Amino acid sequence: MVLVAEHAAETEQQDRFAEEAIGHLDTLYRGALRLTRDPARAEDLVQDTYVRALRYQSSYQVGTNMKAWLFAIMRNLFWDRFKGGRPEDVSLDGDGQFALYDTLRDPSAMPEADVLDRIAAEEVVKAVEQLPELHREVVLLVDVEGFAYKEAAEVLGVPIGTVMSRLHRARRQLQKLLYDYARESGIVHSKGDEA
Amino acid sequence: MNCTDCLEKLDRYVDRELTDAELNEVRRHLAECPPCEDLYRLQVNLRRVVKVCCDQGVAPEQLRSRLRQILF
Repeated sequence: MVLVAEHAAETEQQDRFAEEAIGHLDTLYRGALRLTRDPARAEDLVQDTYVRALRYQSSYQVGTNMKAWLFAIMRNLFWDRFKGGRPEDVSLDGDGQFALYDTLRDPSAMPEADVLDRIAAEEVVKAVEQLPELHREVVLLVDVEGFAYKEAAEVLGVPIGTVMSRLHRARRQLQKLLYDYARESGIVHSKGDEA
Repeated sequence: MNCTDCLEKLDRYVDRELTDAELNEVRRHLAECPPCEDLYRLQVNLRRVVKVCCDQGVAPEQLRSRLRQILF
């Protein structure tokens, strides 16, 4: 009887783990799509993430942040599988410019809220997907998922300072990509153009 | 606080990662510096737009079923 009761308790615990884990499926899938930029690869990545999560579920501490734990598994799998190993730091070209910021200092430019809100969602996603992976993953964790720097640092296995510098560079690059798009598509006019 | 100090703290201000004392300093500077305030609004909007645009879509149903079989 004791064994039966133990087994029932184990099953219940297992089901609770599974329910909680599957509750993060949509979030993980969206993250996987942004990382891989490919629906089939995203599905594979998410499935493998859950298989690994199940295998290592004893390392998950109940009551801690399961979303962060799953993201850490997925992110490590992504680098191992698609990028041939854990990442080295990368640098961004043209990092020294604050494109939209410079424009804001130009009184003839449109207010920035207008610019960003008039860019179609798929263009914003495209811009995020153009970021180098190391910068993209920080944007996903902090801007999209709302992780605190400390949590993002734990997911990525880097110091908080690295999270901050990558995030800063990623946002500058995003501003530039979106502003370039806005200018090319006529949403915002370059200085000297007729408004 | 000058503009350089403010810009250096702006990401953390937007992300609510500053101490209360730092937060108040930045807030005071933004209230009296329109160019920094513009940049602050740009950062907030960028974060909001990225969140809204990237946070759409659900996992395919077949994937969900496969995972349920694996997990339960």
